[in-house]
Amino acid sequence: MSRNFTPDETLIDQLFLNDTSAFEEIHHRYCYSLYAYCAGKLSSAADARQIVRDIFILLWEKRHTLPVGFSLSLYLYTEVRKCVVRCINEKLETSEDLATLEKKVIPGFAVMNLQKARQPVKRIACENIVTKKEKYQDPWWNYNPSGINIKVIKNTLQKAFNLL
Amino acid sequence: MTTEVLHKKTHRYLSGAAMPAETKQIQNWLSCIDDKEVKLSGKEKERIENEILAEVQAYTAYPLFYPKAEPWWKKITAVF
Repeated sequence: MSRNFTPDETLIDQLFLNDTSAFEEIHHRYCYSLYAYCAGKLSSAADARQIVRDIFILLWEKRHTLPVGFSLSLYLYTEVRKCVVRCINEKLETSEDLATLEKKVIPGFAVMNLQKARQPVKRIACENIVTKKEKYQDPWWNYNPSGINIKVIKNTLQKAFNLL
Repeated sequence: MTTEVLHKKTHRYLSGAAMPAETKQIQNWLSCIDDKEVKLSGKEKERIENEILAEVQAYTAYPLFYPKAEPWWKKITAVF
């Protein structure tokens, strides 16, 4: 399937005009990440598939009534979170699959596990800090096919700015 | 936590009657990213995507109402 780099806003505008290609592009962009999120939370591929399917069906049905300034990613992730909680609630009501819930879902509510909610951001932030030493060890930072000294480039640019 | 307690909490959360602490607890759980996420191959992901799309198409029947226009090169090749 060929892909395009059309922004979400444009795809939503096209969706309003019943453009099925735009809908399929949206589906391709978000489907797997939503599915993986649901499957991870519910430990059930069937439930994840059903939730993602329902979300996209609702998006298609609501395409003519989407508000101005509609944020697609925000909408999809808000919906998926609601659906996950709803699915757990339904399972608990019907006492269906309680063993899986007890083993895989309930431990996630422990305080120790909930503290993880802040960790990925911290980790990413730490990973992005590149020390000066690491920076110069990285071959990409030292890649200089022109062979011109960086100081010379800096001075030349400074002169150019001064002239401007 | 027991299943009964979780049920009460999710029910209150969905009906908008949850205490702030309960809301925070559920939202934190929803925000937790699972490190043990199963990594699938590209083909496997594509298969899942296509299956879900086929289910959406079957439900909404949009390809029947809004068929895709044939690209210009297909029209030309059809002539020959």
